[in-house]
Amino acid sequence: MLCSMYATSMSRNSEEPVFNQIEEIRTSLGLSRQELADLVGVHYQTIGYLERGEYSPSLVLALRIAQTLNKEVSEVFSLTEPKEGEK
Amino acid sequence: MTKKNKIYWSLGVTEKGTRALLTDENSKFKWLRSQRNRRVLVALNMIGIVLVSLGSYYPTLKTNINLDADTEIVIFSVTAIFVIFLTLGAYSYLRVAVRGIADAPDELLDERQIQIRNTSYRYAYLAMGYIVLGLLLLMFFGPELEMFQPDGNDGSYLAIATMFAFAAAPSMILAWRERDI
Repeated sequence: MLCSMYATSMSRNSEEPVFNQIEEIRTSLGLSRQELADLVGVHYQTIGYLERGEYSPSLVLALRIAQTLNKEVSEVFSLTEPKEGEK
Repeated sequence: MTKKNKIYWSLGVTEKGTRALLTDENSKFKWLRSQRNRRVLVALNMIGIVLVSLGSYYPTLKTNINLDADTEIVIFSVTAIFVIFLTLGAYSYLRVAVRGIADAPDELLDERQIQIRNTSYRYAYLAMGYIVLGLLLLMFFGPELEMFQPDGNDGSYLAIATMFAFAAAPSMILAWRERDI
């Protein structure tokens, strides 16, 4: 039961959005989309899609982005919208 | 030493060519990539495919122009070749507009690009299924309806149009659906 619940909520096709702080952290580090894209090995449009929340990354990509931004995955991605103070 | 340009024979692309399309190396084609322009290219491709397929119906079309048979064949053939080349041109531009994602190998794409490419192939497969079904029905009922000339044109333009549709469908779907590419 628990397994099937998790399987549903973790599906990348589900409606549940994945929130992220990529744009805020990236700009605070002075990185452009292209530079971050080159560092994590994706196309710069993919960074745009991620920042707008229009694409949910795989676990590997999420880990790679967090590592590149020098943050924990939970600091970059969350299932709930970050509060104003956290932004 | 320069790196050898890998050729992906089954996909009909080269590594250098695909990389050049995926990056903005050639900025002169950047204007093609707005969603509006991509959708215009999709429309042009569709018009081209329909026009090529109409080549099979031309002999049965009724016109008021009275030309001798030889002149008619020359005009028809030249027009057909012209339309086929225009459609090929529109297809080439469409491929550039979607960065060649539809024909690129996995190793040159990132995970989002692989996902959108796979989705476009799924929709293209469905669409082509319906088109092929339509063509089969046409083959079945065509002779009864006298849609093709009994001797001569055997629907070969329909076959060319179908090949165009098979090649272009994934890129057309990508071009139409994606906001940024």
